[in-house]
Amino acid sequence: MNESKRPSHWRSLRALEAGDALRDETRAEFPEGADQAPAALSRRRFLQLMGASVALAGMSGCRWPRETIVPYAHRAPGQIPGETTSFATAMELGGVAQGVLATSFDGRPIKVDGNPGIISTGGAAGPMLQASVLELYDPHRSKSVLKAGEASSWQAFELFAEEHFAALKASGGEGLSILSESSSSPSLTMQRKAFLAEFPAAQWYSYEALSRENISAGLEVAYGTRLRPRFDLEKCQVIVSLDDDFLSDHPDALSLNRAFARGRRAESGHMNRLYMLEPGFSITGGMADQRLPIKASQVQAFLLDLIDAVGGGAAHGEWAHHPFFEALRRDLLAHRGKAVVTAGARQSIEVHALVALLNQELGAPGETLHYSEEKLDPSGAASIKRLSAEMSRGRVKTLLMLGGNPAYDAPVDLGFADKLGTLESSIHLSLHANETSALCKWQLPRSHYLESWGDALTWDGTYCTTQPLIEALYGGKTSQELLSLLIGEGRNGYDIARAALAERFPSSDFEKFWRKTLHAGLVEGHRSTLPAPPPMAVGLRHRLAPPSKDEGLELVFAGDPKVHDGRFAGNSWLQELPDPVSKLTWDNTAQMNPATAEKLGVKDGELVKLSVQGQDLTLPALILPGLAPETVLVNLGYGRKIAGPVGEDVGFDTYVLRASAHMGFAQGLSVSKAGGKHTLAMTQDHWLIDAVGFNERARRVPSLTREGNLAEYKKDPHFATSHEHHPPLISLWDEHVYEGHRWGMSIDLNSCTGCSACSVACQAENNISVVGKEEVARGREMSWIRLDRYFSGDPEDPGMIQQPVACSHCELAPCEGVCPVGATAHSDEGLNDMAYNRCIGTRYCANNCPFKVRRFNWFDYNKEIGETESLVFNPDVTVRGRGVMEKCSYCVQRIEGAKITAKNEGRPLVDGDVTPACAQTCPADAIVFGDLNDKESRVWKMHENARSYSLLGELNLKSRTAYMARVKNPNPELVEDSVEHGHHG
Amino acid sequence: MSTVITDKLDNRIDDPSKQPTLITGGLSFGDLTDTVCDVVERPAPKLWFPLFSLAALLAGVLFGLIGYLIFSGVGIWGNNSPVNWGFPIVNLVFWIGIGHAGTLISAILFLFRQKWRTSINRFAETMTIFAVICAGIWPGIHVGRIWVVHYIFPIPYSQGAWPNFRSPLVWDVFAIGTYMTVSLMFWYMGQMPDFATLRDRSTTKARKMIYGLLSLGWRGSNRQWQRYEKAYLLLAGLATPLVLSVHSVVSFDFATSQLPGWHTTIFPPYFVAGAVFGGFAMVMTIAIPARKWLRLENIITPHHLDMMAKILLATGSMVGYAYAMEFFIAWYGGNATEMFTFINRATGPYAWAYWIMVSCNVIIPQLFWVKKIRHNILMVWIIAALVNVGMWFERFVIIVTSLTRDFLPAAWGLFKPTWVDIAMLIGSFGLFASLFLLYMRFGPIVAMAEVKTVMPMAEATDGKRQAQGDYHGSIPGQIQEREKEAERLDS
Repeated sequence: MNESKRPSHWRSLRALEAGDALRDETRAEFPEGADQAPAALSRRRFLQLMGASVALAGMSGCRWPRETIVPYAHRAPGQIPGETTSFATAMELGGVAQGVLATSFDGRPIKVDGNPGIISTGGAAGPMLQASVLELYDPHRSKSVLKAGEASSWQAFELFAEEHFAALKASGGEGLSILSESSSSPSLTMQRKAFLAEFPAAQWYSYEALSRENISAGLEVAYGTRLRPRFDLEKCQVIVSLDDDFLSDHPDALSLNRAFARGRRAESGHMNRLYMLEPGFSITGGMADQRLPIKASQVQAFLLDLIDAVGGGAAHGEWAHHPFFEALRRDLLAHRGKAVVTAGARQSIEVHALVALLNQELGAPGETLHYSEEKLDPSGAASIKRLSAEMSRGRVKTLLMLGGNPAYDAPVDLGFADKLGTLESSIHLSLHANETSALCKWQLPRSHYLESWGDALTWDGTYCTTQPLIEALYGGKTSQELLSLLIGEGRNGYDIARAALAERFPSSDFEKFWRKTLHAGLVEGHRSTLPAPPPMAVGLRHRLAPPSKDEGLELVFAGDPKVHDGRFAGNSWLQELPDPVSKLTWDNTAQMNPATAEKLGVKDGELVKLSVQGQDLTLPALILPGLAPETVLVNLGYGRKIAGPVGEDVGFDTYVLRASAHMGFAQGLSVSKAGGKHTLAMTQDHWLIDAVGFNERARRVPSLTREGNLAEYKKDPHFATSHEHHPPLISLWDEHVYEGHRWGMSIDLNSCTGCSACSVACQAENNISVVGKEEVARGREMSWIRLDRYFSGDPEDPGMIQQPVACSHCELAPCEGVCPVGATAHSDEGLNDMAYNRCIGTRYCANNCPFKVRRFNWFDYNKEIGETESLVFNPDVTVRGRGVMEKCSYCVQRIEGAKITAKNEGRPLVDGDVTPACAQTCPADAIVFGDLNDKESRVWKMHENARSYSLLGELNLKSRTAYMARVKNPNPELVEDSVEHGHHG
Repeated sequence: MSTVITDKLDNRIDDPSKQPTLITGGLSFGDLTDTVCDVVERPAPKLWFPLFSLAALLAGVLFGLIGYLIFSGVGIWGNNSPVNWGFPIVNLVFWIGIGHAGTLISAILFLFRQKWRTSINRFAETMTIFAVICAGIWPGIHVGRIWVVHYIFPIPYSQGAWPNFRSPLVWDVFAIGTYMTVSLMFWYMGQMPDFATLRDRSTTKARKMIYGLLSLGWRGSNRQWQRYEKAYLLLAGLATPLVLSVHSVVSFDFATSQLPGWHTTIFPPYFVAGAVFGGFAMVMTIAIPARKWLRLENIITPHHLDMMAKILLATGSMVGYAYAMEFFIAWYGGNATEMFTFINRATGPYAWAYWIMVSCNVIIPQLFWVKKIRHNILMVWIIAALVNVGMWFERFVIIVTSLTRDFLPAAWGLFKPTWVDIAMLIGSFGLFASLFLLYMRFGPIVAMAEVKTVMPMAEATDGKRQAQGDYHGSIPGQIQEREKEAERLDS
């Protein structure tokens, strides 16, 4: 709509004359967020402050509607109030698009799932994607333009920009630098071209704290051009991962999960074998058939030996005689063309070049491995180092930062924050006010992806569009819009995104194409794959820098599976999500294995001082089995100083140890005890375990999480249940007969990696409360589906298995009989329902639940949630008050919704109509839900599968959720105790 | 009756064929009345006010914390998942257990004609009432939504929802409710003649009024005594099964669940034995200082303490047997999960609590085999007090340690009480002490009328009189016969 149009009604002549200027003046006097206390808030206070954002939510009524998002004057056709609508869009993380299907309820996004149109992920979404909807409503987002920390306005910024950039233009952009997050967005690329055309002398840098730059740089060494490796895990027989947590810490983790799971279905006869070598203990390591804890610095030496051995020559290195090495070598040689080797992003450029060489030797390219052109700018330490050097030389007068938080996450040796503070002119476009924006002259609010027009490319190069579901809550702009504004063009995001799509896919009927693309969220069939890699450089094996020597203690940096590089630190869903392996919430630690801890004399939770190359940091130790010897692993992304009350001072800032010379891992670490303890809030093993408990756990785990080897499975597909022995399970009465539906679930432990996406999805779907660190430490976390993680075997080299546990909806439910008021009872479709209104909170049901999946509202956890944040609530699910019990409902609201839809459409409910949030988001497709009365349903078939077993079946609960035993495929050469494994029960 | 009359203070005798003197000091009926009424009539002992203030303060803390609890939520306690029940339920079971001795002494010992019970039965019954009050607080406040706690009662609501009669918690409501009602009636009815005595001795109008009201017009007439005795006997008969039922039902809260460590068939008798044990220990803990303080040494004599010590020894051994049997069945039953629960109790993170329990409840009371210790009043008091500690820990061990480690090791946890837990526990003792101190000041702390019947003088009167007063010796048939006889004579 036209803003300059004179209003039809006005309050004073001045208002009529001044128009927009008056509005800006008013805004400057009453800036948004001015009533908020600046810093040092408790979480509770923060939640109270969310109430302050009510005012802002109210402001939406005063906004001048623009562009295409306008309130309905008349109800749009097909729009039914109260009915949700889904929009395909995309979230970009680290320069890679994640296809999203966002659910909107009456104009507000309430849930984010994977876009099922993206075939490789099939509608799956990871924890960060699931939690991104909460970020939208974060009342601590950057809300208004700030000039040197003082409230300002976009108009003031435009005035400044006009003048300032005009001056810069005269010099061709001399002294202008741009630091951007990694982005694959075609429209940003287009806008960047236009920008650089105006300012040819300007310098453009990219930086990501968790950059995957070493991979493409390594491939550049090998092939002469920057490449991106893409694996076809479904085809692989042997997968070797050298410190690559590809099931979790990978931009394409969702499709890798899916392909990996599909490549190992015992029933299909095809079982891949995963070899994992890693310094830490990742969920990928937990899925490995053979795992070797190895120091990060030793990966290259191992790899060189492997190349020598596979290449036909003799390996001379120290690894050559390791049994693991021998077995791996033979396995690789036996599976040429069906094997793939991958290395983690924290490994050196040399390692990645060598991996390319090994893959070439194994005949992987074209078979299990495809290369595509790496179009992302180099975003590693080198890039920001150059910028920093320019800044030191005084050549940067104006720095424009598009997202990112370099003052927090840049390599510590650059002193970036100090240099940033001295710049004449610095502009930061950011979703949140953070450490960087605090140092900038101008802070500009960025719009969230759910408020933005845009686009981005997925890992395989598919073009995805981003569309807004809601008008920018705080008047933010996208990077594209800002660049356009700075060159005086001032186009809006919609026009830019359209233009970019038109440029890439010229079409005669563009409008139709545009609408089709928006609807699907992607342009199908345009993946970028090189038919074959370019020829490989010769003599690579001996040309590269030799591997580093083993020099004692090492420090390994890892991206966090929850807060990533720290950008999600203000997201309480992610902060409270237990780490998939350590089960730690609201913290990060110095992880080390028991042997290292013993050598250092350190106990769990004790503070240790890590010193590496002149930098030191004190943080608590966490003893975790399975880490490599002499290795201390720290997660990045915590200890934020300006991140809103949720994220501030949670954990410890490990970036202070990370220098540009060692972004992945550092040698020459020294550790000393710092004295004192720190409370670690873990959802499992809250406390150190004694010998009695330890032994009992070891005794029980095999019957709880059943697993066997492929050989055992082949011999006896019923291995999971054939060793069960308990008295006959008979009922005292005739059991209820279910005429209609009989809902049930099956969880395949063979596919579940423990990524925890289900847990966040459930939180988003079912309005599950966040309780904070103190409450988690007390054992009061609220998750309806938790992941039980068990280790097995030798603490120095253990196995790991993950088991999702939610309410099993037992047919003979122990919780139901003991409830004095009948607040929990069976429905006629076999669901164990909770009547919150009826519950008086005796908690007897929770005591009697053998799975301990019932969660109690010890306090009114939702009392202090402000109106903005409450917009994220799913209106189909009751928000529970204080004093009631809650638990998994099998997403009963979805069951009822699907039944209504089917009824309206006059058809019976079919298998697949009902998918609970956990099953929907599971990237490995490990969770299947359906009607057990439907003998054609997937869930019934899974219940009937030979591997299916009941957890605690001996209690005669007749659980509706069945588990499928895990089948591992260890190398027979390395299996000595295979007989022991299968005999559980 | 072959009664050996001795006037020395130590009336303990070893010859079981002989009955000792139950009331020493050569008290006459009048002396006895004076001794007991003196407690109420003379000014409060010096210590009374400080003690009462302290107790009232603690009770105030309890009620203040209940307010805090209702205001903020049950999260102020240390309860968590998996330990959804913590101190409140431990305290509930503890106080209910204490409340057992009263009815046991009043009813069962009455039916078994244990005459020595008369000296302590008022103590015990009073303790029962106050202990049940202390117990009754917990289930009400421990629920998450106290404002809808009435859902547990079978009230015909318009929405037609009834409580779940399969739930042991509903049984609890009935069991404890019935027990409280019958105990209260028993206690009150037993006091009527004594209230009348106090009324008759009153010197002020107010006292006369109040005791007059409380005695419900008791005149001590022949007919009143007859009715009274009949009613007393009936109530004793009613109360007797309740002694067994209330703690059996409380034990069902645990026994009917499927939690290892709770799910055992031994629980009902084990809980009853434990409750009698704990109740007697509490009677002794209170009576020993009180007899000295209130100058009741001639009424609660060393013989009484000796008898109670023997009961402690017997019930303590029963409890010890139950502890051992739990282990045996866990092993014999072949249920590995249950076996672990018991091994974990004895050697796991809460082993300290388990061994406090075993020491206080089983090992230390064995000292009562030694006569010297049984006759050393200070030792008896110390052991009785330790039994109270042990019985609290028994409930803690059963409830908390079983919950900390059940089926899935990933869901195991630990329990740490908060300051609120501890303050409320102490506060409940404050409430108990406040009520007891008040009763000591204003109520007949010894059942005078009953004690008189076991004094030698009761036998010295004529047969008819004896028959009326000595209702301990009567059995229903006899009373009816006498009534018929009386009617025949009247006509």
